[in-house]
Amino acid sequence: MATAKILIVDDELIMRESLAGWLERDGHQVDKAASGEEALEVLEKTKYDILLLDIKMEGMSGLEVLKQVNESDPDVAVVMITAYGSVSTAIEAMKNGAFDYLMKPFDPNELGLLIEKIIDRQAQDRERLYLKEEYRERTRFESMLGQSKAMQEVFKLIEDVAATDSTVLITGETGTGKELAAKAIHSNSQRCNGPFVAVNCGAFPEHLLESELFGHQKGAFTDAKTSKKGRLELAHGGTLFLDEIGEVSMRMQIDLLRVMEDRVFYRVGGTQPIEADFRVIAATNKDLAQAIRERTFRQDLFYRLNVISLVMPPLRDRKEDIPILAEYFLRRFAWESNKTIDKVSREAMDEMMLYEWPGNVRELENAIERAVVVGKGRTITQENLPIFCPEPRIMAADKSLQEIEKAHILTILEENNWNIKKSASILQIDRSTLYGKIKRYEIQRPD
Amino acid sequence: MNTRPTHTIILSPIEDLSTSLLDRISEDLMRVFGFPIEIMRLIDDLAFALDRQRRQYHSTLILEALDRKAPPGALKILGVTRQDLFIPILTHVYGEAQLGGRASIISLNRLKEGLGSGGRVDEYHSRVAKEAVHELGHTFNLRHCKDPGCIMHYCHSAADVDRKSNRLCRYCSTLLEDEIERLMSA
Repeated sequence: MATAKILIVDDELIMRESLAGWLERDGHQVDKAASGEEALEVLEKTKYDILLLDIKMEGMSGLEVLKQVNESDPDVAVVMITAYGSVSTAIEAMKNGAFDYLMKPFDPNELGLLIEKIIDRQAQDRERLYLKEEYRERTRFESMLGQSKAMQEVFKLIEDVAATDSTVLITGETGTGKELAAKAIHSNSQRCNGPFVAVNCGAFPEHLLESELFGHQKGAFTDAKTSKKGRLELAHGGTLFLDEIGEVSMRMQIDLLRVMEDRVFYRVGGTQPIEADFRVIAATNKDLAQAIRERTFRQDLFYRLNVISLVMPPLRDRKEDIPILAEYFLRRFAWESNKTIDKVSREAMDEMMLYEWPGNVRELENAIERAVVVGKGRTITQENLPIFCPEPRIMAADKSLQEIEKAHILTILEENNWNIKKSASILQIDRSTLYGKIKRYEIQRPD
Repeated sequence: MNTRPTHTIILSPIEDLSTSLLDRISEDLMRVFGFPIEIMRLIDDLAFALDRQRRQYHSTLILEALDRKAPPGALKILGVTRQDLFIPILTHVYGEAQLGGRASIISLNRLKEGLGSGGRVDEYHSRVAKEAVHELGHTFNLRHCKDPGCIMHYCHSAADVDRKSNRLCRYCSTLLEDEIERLMSA
């Protein structure tokens, strides 16, 4: 059963509690808010898939909350909860972007089916996005670069690890090049002539991931018109890269553990055991130790995966690599766009050295790409780097890095009417990172 | 599954129930969870949980009462009632449980759906036993399972209950073993 992260917003304690208890039994992760105001606060810090929103509440109404949520996080599916007699308001809410509505008390089946429908719809959207991203990723990170001590240690470890056939767990923040490190291990290993098969475990809903990994027999489920090999089979003789392993459901963790122990598995709907010989490299930006404490990740699987641990350092801890990376990206994008740009100005480089790069190498890559697109002369200047707004630059002499970052985030948020999705996209960080920074810097949205 | 004799699951009928039904429930609970079952009346009046307007009983309140009244050494409790149960946001429930907690309850009220008035005792007892295992499973931290054959699968109707098996799927078995190991080592 696919699960979701759900926020219940209702000013009646008993309704919140009973609905939360019911949904938790389905395996959903549920939080509660007692008012519209509290819901908006929670939504600034945490990302949800579904919002179950009571229409009639003391203070801010459900419709007002809906309006703000639509602006700040259009991806969340909002289901309005209404009492008998206020269906017209619910219909109005649907015209304003709500996914659906439920009239309380509602039939348990009605609730379950609606949640399933939303999860399916969101999974389809995620899959489309993943395919788009996968296409973009093919042109990224062709090479790992770095002269810093931190990267030299990474290169040494990759070399040592490549010579073995042990399972590797790569951890590191988003954009630090975890997949690139996995590819480097593969191409320096004895399996280099075999396939490198990558699976982004976080991009598939559970039932699709199962079929994606293990394959399926014809007729195993409604859409299984033909038999299909899974990625485990395709990785035979090579390396299987399990990206975002921290997103795998508890059920799939049991299956993965079994495969890692026996190297034998069955296709979905299949009865014949299949043996495959592959090396496993897994990666995550999650804190798996914390996930184990929260009982969302199996300790036994963690030990199986974490035979060798490789930690990718964030760019802020290896700033000496910024010039070499910037030069590499500059050459590449200038060549691709057929422009004669071959230098980064000293001021622009100073700014890049001061910046924290929360999106790491990927963010730097994007910044240079954009600078090449907007640049007019042969040199990249500060003005070509849109991540640095003019105001903090003027103040930079007496401001800390954190203050500059806070001011920049605030500017972008204000310029974009506090649209989190849009602001995160401009800042080239993901939304959860942006929410984290808003919280850390205590940035307040004006009333 | 091996018996773990030092811990007991309490099966607590709210009203008088037939010995054959209680035996069937006990057998299935014992088979799945592996703990001895003790039959013990903890509550015999549900008036405190009655919603007069809905003419149904608020199951969450009953769970709290069962948890309060059970002896401290009891590992888990399953209440069984003939009354129709609800939680405020839903029209009705077949049962409720404290997820990862101690108490659970099932209602027999809607489990006779489609069985007619006479006979088919075996089918009825089988449904009740499955619902008993299902609700008690939640107290062992098991969530609903997508496998339609697994006893932890959420059923939309009494007929769906007939279609699922009286066993846990291999995933839920593993998760149950993990949870029992955790409980025993705590």
